[in-house]
Amino acid sequence: MSSYDLQINGQAYTVEAEAQMPLLWVLRDLLGLTGTKFSCGVGLCGSCTVLIDGEPERSCVTLVESVAGKTITTIEGLSSDVSHPLQEAWLAENVSQCGYCQPGQIMNAAALLQKNPDPSDTEIDAAMGDVLCRCGTYQRVRKAIHRAAEEV
Amino acid sequence: MQKQLTRRDFIKLVGAAGGGLVLAVSLDACASDAPLPATVTPLSPTSTARPPFDWSPNIYLKVDQDGILTVYAFRSDMGQGIRTAIAMLIAEELDVDWNSVRIEQSATDPKYGDQLTGGSVSISSHYSGLRLAGAVARQMLVEAAADVWDADPAQCTTEAGFVIHPDKGQKIPYGELVEAAAQKEIPKQTKIKDASAYRIVGTGKGHWDAPQMISGKAIYGIDVRVPDMLFAVIARCPVFGGTFASYDDSAAKTVPGVRQIVALDKSIAVVAENTWAAIQGRNALKITWDEGRNASLSSEELRTAAKERIPQLGSNDKVMDAVYEIPFEAHATMEPMNCTAHVHDGICEVWAPTQNPQAVQMQVAAATRIPREDVTVNVPLIGGAFGRRIQTDYAVEAALVSQAIGAPVQVVWTRDDDLQHDFYHDMSVHYVSVVHDKVNIPRLQSSGSRSPVPTGAWRSVENFPQAYPTQCFIDEMAFERKRDPLDLRLELYSGRAAEVIKLAAEKAEWGKSLPAGQGQGLAYHATFGVTHVAYVAEVVVDEDGVVHVRRVVAAVDCGEVINPDNVAAQIEGGIVFGLTATLKAEATLKDGRIQQSNFHDHPILTMDEMPLVEVYIIKSDQRPSGMGEMGVPPIAPAVANAVFAATGKRIRHIPIRPEDLKA
Repeated sequence: MSSYDLQINGQAYTVEAEAQMPLLWVLRDLLGLTGTKFSCGVGLCGSCTVLIDGEPERSCVTLVESVAGKTITTIEGLSSDVSHPLQEAWLAENVSQCGYCQPGQIMNAAALLQKNPDPSDTEIDAAMGDVLCRCGTYQRVRKAIHRAAEEV
Repeated sequence: MQKQLTRRDFIKLVGAAGGGLVLAVSLDACASDAPLPATVTPLSPTSTARPPFDWSPNIYLKVDQDGILTVYAFRSDMGQGIRTAIAMLIAEELDVDWNSVRIEQSATDPKYGDQLTGGSVSISSHYSGLRLAGAVARQMLVEAAADVWDADPAQCTTEAGFVIHPDKGQKIPYGELVEAAAQKEIPKQTKIKDASAYRIVGTGKGHWDAPQMISGKAIYGIDVRVPDMLFAVIARCPVFGGTFASYDDSAAKTVPGVRQIVALDKSIAVVAENTWAAIQGRNALKITWDEGRNASLSSEELRTAAKERIPQLGSNDKVMDAVYEIPFEAHATMEPMNCTAHVHDGICEVWAPTQNPQAVQMQVAAATRIPREDVTVNVPLIGGAFGRRIQTDYAVEAALVSQAIGAPVQVVWTRDDDLQHDFYHDMSVHYVSVVHDKVNIPRLQSSGSRSPVPTGAWRSVENFPQAYPTQCFIDEMAFERKRDPLDLRLELYSGRAAEVIKLAAEKAEWGKSLPAGQGQGLAYHATFGVTHVAYVAEVVVDEDGVVHVRRVVAAVDCGEVINPDNVAAQIEGGIVFGLTATLKAEATLKDGRIQQSNFHDHPILTMDEMPLVEVYIIKSDQRPSGMGEMGVPPIAPAVANAVFAATGKRIRHIPIRPEDLKA
């Protein structure tokens, strides 16, 4: 066990963890930040996506030792009051069904909009094509990203 | 015109609504003119400030002094939006502003009748009861206000949380009336709203829980946290029916964070301080499995045997016939199975993301030998279910592990656990036939696997394997008889069925000319015989044989629509769920075990594969008939029929693979 200093959502945390422990479990089981979701565990579905220095990363395959000192943003840190343009667009388009994959969808979309403020459908599909949703919210995710792009 | 409902109707309707068991019992226990029991929050006798007061005129709701309506959702929400729909019906009849609505998940309690969420019946079976629950409360508030004004209650009206004086000059907010309303008798008759007066029902509402979901605050089963809880993952025999012969846990015990190894009946649980340590501990277990007698079983063997139980193709020259095949299907919910349990002091508390809390209560009680009334089942939000969570296996495991270790524990399934220990949609084969020249809906003779593979409900249950062969075969009949598939269907179907078929065809411009390699396909199904759905799918089949579904036009008749935006969402979702089975994934059995382990070999539909879905809803004043599962069945045949139109190839199995269609 080692000690790691983590910067998460603008707050400093120190955690005692195994070096090989993925960030996902540090967030969920050690820090109680359960907004980041577990689904596949091997980086295939995107439900666990967080931003690390602004880049979308799959926290289930990101070792805690690799993120010490970096800036980590989780769904809880996107806004304090559901006011991020993506969150507002998500509500306007009634995107969520079960909602479980939605934090991952939104964090991936946030990273996309930072790089590309006005993505086309094709660019959205390319950026979001490996973020899985079993309920089938894709059509509305696409619309919500366009709507948020207009707001930004 | 408003419908007059007598008290007897109320009792009858609430009772008939399936959820009113205890309501009916309460009424039976009371004198015939006694009020329904009102819940009064205990007051502190020494309090001088106005004590808090919540008025709960029936089991479905309470109203507080701020006029906030809290609805008790007694069914499980797994994305189909039932919490929101229940609240919409009650809020409509009570006549409150939607912003004043809160939703709490109800207790697991027989007073709600059977709480199994399945069969898409939560609204259809509670429609009258929920409306009356709100309407009765509204009337009692009106009577309380009329007393204040010394006015005729029949002349008072309500609007968005206020009772309005007959001369419209004064109004009183509900919150100020709840104490007086609580003293009123349950009315002997009441009025329910006419559809023309709706302010909430029929408007598009997002899920009430959506803001929590998209900010990471929503609590799903896997997010439940209990003080001092531990985490466990379980090693289960990969072969169905097998168990462990022996195991060596010495390495597992040295994994940092691992606390304890618990042998259950046929499996071994690794309990740790966090989920990750539990997973590492399980990886370190050395287990010798006793695979039992199913260790050589395969899908191929089961399919061959099933085909021997249906008529052989071409065995009757009076009919045209075909055989269609459907494989095992996994549920693959995004939130894997999990459950949190705490056995202590002779009781058991359970937090189960389940469709079936009363069965969880019963099975946990049986397994732990704790009396059923001492097993509390809380239902958090659910990250997809699709029928998988009608089962109770994950909850029984958690209770047994907690009982063994004497601490609260969350059992988490990894994705491979989830795909390999599912209760699968059964494999099936279908002999479809019709007498030559007869214009009949074809006859279906089917067989399932009859195997030791655990099977269970999978979104739309028997409707998927009914719709796929039937609707594909109707297209085969049309081709054989040189008929247009739309015209033949309009000869086979009438009434509401014909209306959705016509609407979908019209909106999709059925029969329009398309380039080579593209095609339209039509299919219709009434899931559970109640909700009518027709699809026209447009596909492109590329030179590698890959099917791209570009567009699906849907027409739906589900009776009165509570939440039109959610009807559309359920159609979109049903299409996506069905397309995964039609084009991408199956569960295959080899050596007695399921071969798939994660989304690389059980791929689900992705965003770039999502067709444009257009949903057209028939306006109807029929009783609402359910939407959760109805979007799934017609998509596989609509796509298969479109593939035939595009390529001339009739594929009689799913998933349709590129190798089926390569030139």
